[in-house]
Amino acid sequence: MARSLYQAEYLLRETLLGLRRGGWMNWAAISTVAVLLLLFGIGLQGSWQLGEFFNRYGNQLEISAYLDTGVAAKDLQPTIQKLPNVTTVTPITKEEAWAALAKELGSTDLKATTTQLSGNPLVDEIRVQANSPTAVVGLAEALKKVRGVETVQYVGEVVKQVTELNHNLRFISFGVIGFLTLSAIAVITTTLRLVIAARSQEIEVMRLVGATRMTIYLPFLLQGITFGLAGAAIAWIFIQSLLITLSRVASQQANLFQGLLIDSGKGWILPLVLLSFGGTIGLIGSLFAVQTIGRR
Amino acid sequence: MHPDQKTIKPRVIRLDNVSKTYRNGTAALRDLTMDIFAGDFYLLTGTSGSGKSTLLKLLYGEDLPSSGDIWVNDYHLNTVKGNKLAELRRTLGIVFQDYKLLPRRTVSENIAFVLWAQGYSRAEIDRRLPPALKMVGLQHKATSFPEELSGGEQQRVSIARAIVATPPILLADEPTGNLDPDNSRQILNILKQLNKIGVTILMSTHDEALIRTSDLPILQLSNGQLKLINR
Repeated sequence: MARSLYQAEYLLRETLLGLRRGGWMNWAAISTVAVLLLLFGIGLQGSWQLGEFFNRYGNQLEISAYLDTGVAAKDLQPTIQKLPNVTTVTPITKEEAWAALAKELGSTDLKATTTQLSGNPLVDEIRVQANSPTAVVGLAEALKKVRGVETVQYVGEVVKQVTELNHNLRFISFGVIGFLTLSAIAVITTTLRLVIAARSQEIEVMRLVGATRMTIYLPFLLQGITFGLAGAAIAWIFIQSLLITLSRVASQQANLFQGLLIDSGKGWILPLVLLSFGGTIGLIGSLFAVQTIGRR
Repeated sequence: MHPDQKTIKPRVIRLDNVSKTYRNGTAALRDLTMDIFAGDFYLLTGTSGSGKSTLLKLLYGEDLPSSGDIWVNDYHLNTVKGNKLAELRRTLGIVFQDYKLLPRRTVSENIAFVLWAQGYSRAEIDRRLPPALKMVGLQHKATSFPEELSGGEQQRVSIARAIVATPPILLADEPTGNLDPDNSRQILNILKQLNKIGVTILMSTHDEALIRTSDLPILQLSNGQLKLINR
């Protein structure tokens, strides 16, 4: 136990010594990782929030059919149920819709509002769920032809465009992140190679006195991992600051913009992902660097 | 090497038809065959470039022979590598002409560094450090940095570093090469003391005065071949 603790102390001391000797090169490595993880983190957080937004505000498989005045939703339900690619059909009476709307508008006296408007101005609605995104357009067309259906609305088209945009952005960001990952690994490798060169005499003595490869390598591997973790921490702080700033700005903006900034519910996953990614990059960079040490 | 030794002492180093030819075609060693037994102390002599350092490098696994086999402490050096090589090196103490001390570490830290690297506990390091410093007469310089020491003192630190883990074999590559005669004699005396307590020593030197004044057996390297001179 005491031996293990001393070994840990030795590793920590050697790692800190390496960091001290790295000087400004440490910052080059850390900042490259931080920039990479910042872009990666923003992309990831953005896609999570977009996904949550879609979940909350619009289902891309759902179609709303508004019926002619006087037509009851329940009467059309069996007909619509028989249409191809339909999974569920939910009838909503105009009374239900009116009550929901009044609540959304903040009205507490439903009767008074109804009297004021000379009756309920709404019509019955049927919400239809398609079995796949590709079936939505065809199903909407079929619904339009059903007798008693006045209009058909679905968010599929908007969602499709946003999803395509998101998909394209993701494709570009994969390229950028890939390039930055390679850059970060190269910078970490170069930094550690310089540290290794500066400590070549110590390393030679260590090898000659019988230090195992692990004893020689570990401080450098830990140093590389430290670069990655430090970069991840900086990136996470930036992303958090950015989200807080955007939330403040969004509180004075339109509802849709506010909606995009809803909590994705994955607050604790992002730092974990960033730290894992950063640590892995640091480890890979340092593994490349220590290749220069070992020969036999 | 002595016929009577072979029956009493275990063999710790064996060279069997060892040759070393460099890439440029220079033959540094030719068909060397020799045995060194526990407790032996040899001076390895020869002119500059005769292959003394090459032979020592082969013995601590820093280089491989072009042909032939080498065993040190029962490790077959032709095949040993990685952690096994590290294991072998823990049974050797190595002293260099240029000391190879770490400049930004004190005398104590330089010596303890070996023990840290070999995974010793702090208590064990604290226990081993004072006797090693005492052996080379540098207790009062424990907190000094190498640049504050004379050449002789630096070499004594390097000897303390080589022996602190109590290796059974000490390989010294021109340890007196940069020293004046007084310091050279001092270093040789320290090595003789170590030999008295059972450490096997192979020390390379081209210091004619030292060779003449010492009564140690000599392994002379000339034209890549070894010749034993008993005195």
